[in-house]
Amino acid sequence: MALPIPLTFLIDLLTFFGIFAIISMSLNLEFGYAGIPNFGKLLAVAGGAFFVGAIPGRVIAYLFNLPAEFDFITNNLEVVSSINQILMFEPVTSIFYLLVSLIGAALSGAALGYIASYPGIRLRGDYLAMTLLAMAEVFRIVGDNWEPFVGGSLGVRIPDPFRWVGGEYRPLYVALTILLVTAAIFIYLELVSRSPLGRTLRAIRDDELSARVYGKDVDRLRIKTLIVGCAIAAIGGALYSFLTASVSARDFNRVTHTFWPWVMVIVGGAGNNLGALIGAGIFVTLRRLITFYKSYFETIVPFDVVWLEYMLLGLALILVLLYRPEGLVPERPTKTLKHSYIVKLISRIKSNEGA
Amino acid sequence: MTLLLIRDAIIFSSLMIMLSAGLTLTYMTTKVPNFAHGDFATLNVYLSLALVRLLNINPYLSTVSAFMLGGLAALILYLAVLKPLMDRGANYVILMIATIAYDMILISLINIFADYLNRVHKLITRLFQLKGFDIEIFGQPGLFVIAPILAFVMITSLYFFLNKTKFGIAMRAAIENPSLAEIVGININLMYAVSWFISGGLAGVVGALMPLYMTCNPDLGIRLLISIFAASILGGLSNIYGALVGGAVIGLAEVLGTGYLSMTLGPWVVPYRPVIPLIIMMLTLLLVPKGLAGVDWKRFIKKVG
Repeated sequence: MALPIPLTFLIDLLTFFGIFAIISMSLNLEFGYAGIPNFGKLLAVAGGAFFVGAIPGRVIAYLFNLPAEFDFITNNLEVVSSINQILMFEPVTSIFYLLVSLIGAALSGAALGYIASYPGIRLRGDYLAMTLLAMAEVFRIVGDNWEPFVGGSLGVRIPDPFRWVGGEYRPLYVALTILLVTAAIFIYLELVSRSPLGRTLRAIRDDELSARVYGKDVDRLRIKTLIVGCAIAAIGGALYSFLTASVSARDFNRVTHTFWPWVMVIVGGAGNNLGALIGAGIFVTLRRLITFYKSYFETIVPFDVVWLEYMLLGLALILVLLYRPEGLVPERPTKTLKHSYIVKLISRIKSNEGA
Repeated sequence: MTLLLIRDAIIFSSLMIMLSAGLTLTYMTTKVPNFAHGDFATLNVYLSLALVRLLNINPYLSTVSAFMLGGLAALILYLAVLKPLMDRGANYVILMIATIAYDMILISLINIFADYLNRVHKLITRLFQLKGFDIEIFGQPGLFVIAPILAFVMITSLYFFLNKTKFGIAMRAAIENPSLAEIVGININLMYAVSWFISGGLAGVVGALMPLYMTCNPDLGIRLLISIFAASILGGLSNIYGALVGGAVIGLAEVLGTGYLSMTLGPWVVPYRPVIPLIIMMLTLLLVPKGLAGVDWKRFIKKVG
């Protein structure tokens, strides 16, 4: 039975919302909480996707004893379709493959974040921003040119962990999986932001010197934040690859995976996860609507309408920075204990002392 | 082969010098790396293409309009975006985001212009070059002679401007100590606006010459940006003369390094050319984070010698 069209539209919307929410929440952790200007968001996203494109398929081909003369890249189609034939009847293996790949993607994203940030993390944030941007661009170039890695400019197809679901319902299951991961990451980041660690990160962001005076190891915390942020972003990249069941370096670029997340975080409101979610939601919905009306404009202007959209986004970002820098959902002050609770606590301590 | 490589390296170094000097100049004023700097050049790649192909203007003459357009693009960024943000007390991260947003606007303008030239005037605007329109001097491409001369003239006039004219000295004062300069009655805002204009102008001139040197595409800006950042960081981001050395080193290292490696390992290394400035950038940050200009050379020589 086919799904009704409004539902497929909604599923599509939610899928992209989930992926971009993950990426923008990771940027919010880095920039919103810790004040790290990660202008190389692309690096971690592509890192996660390239990991999924390069490693799990090869491992599975080895585990399933596929003929050794089949190379994963040159005989990509044969290898992947024979793996899919097997995965179709093995939901447990498929889910296991999905989970392990996501963990692997997160680890590779974390490693990339560490390597890229290492030279600049102790300096002022702009040096870090420049190195991360350059590193991300070079990583993309490597992915685009080095064929044995993820198939160069042609890309690779990867084994589909949703093959057992069956054609009609695949998008629904993918969307649910992505939303599940998004929710888990949201809860994790909310817990982080309410923990002492979250308050420490904000202290570093607002006044690095004071944080140092209070004995906080600022450099170490920054490195940790970037590692976690890059790991989360890499999960976003990996989920995108599972959605399309392929990895192509051409899909990853500075506009989509660095600039857009920045727009989402700034427009939504930096420094709170809800802002990142709302920013991603508005952005994805608007983009869908633009795509819908695009064909109308296409006929009356002598250029690709997508550039008009980029220009409007750039303008919108500048206007938000100028007139509403706190975003749609401003950061709320740190939650402290309720007054009545503190009074109760004091009286309990006193009564303990009395006894 | 080697001679061709050296010729290429000298041209690219001359262009890189102008780019990194401009970036460093603006960094010194607003203390923020301009992520749109590469686009000031790319914008003029396409202006130059239109002037040369549609109006039959000599590519070297188009450098004049390129200086103006590049300067104007930079001036708008400073006056319309960065200055208001600074007045509102925005920190440097917000300023950097603003330059990225401006970068997006310029990229879309460049692409719209490229699409327009392509669809209306039937010009090739993606992956094109204008080497055929270069003049010949002593049997060599004119760029080989003109690019170094242009870089030399630009930089020496900048030197004289900054050191010998009253306006230039006031500008240096505004850059080095804004509050003190303001007290003695220097209009800091004007000084900063002029440095942004010069910076964008230098990048614009490079943009006009780029199609004579290499294959250009609307995404040239980001390609150049890696090299510009590497050159400026190597130079120390605090000193224009440091940027000159940085630009020259990055230019030579990129061309000669890629050339040497492609001769020994094979032509497959060519696309990985941006790896060279990236490695230099990272090594600089690890070993001499203040760049070449920040090294105490007298002490260094004493230690070594």
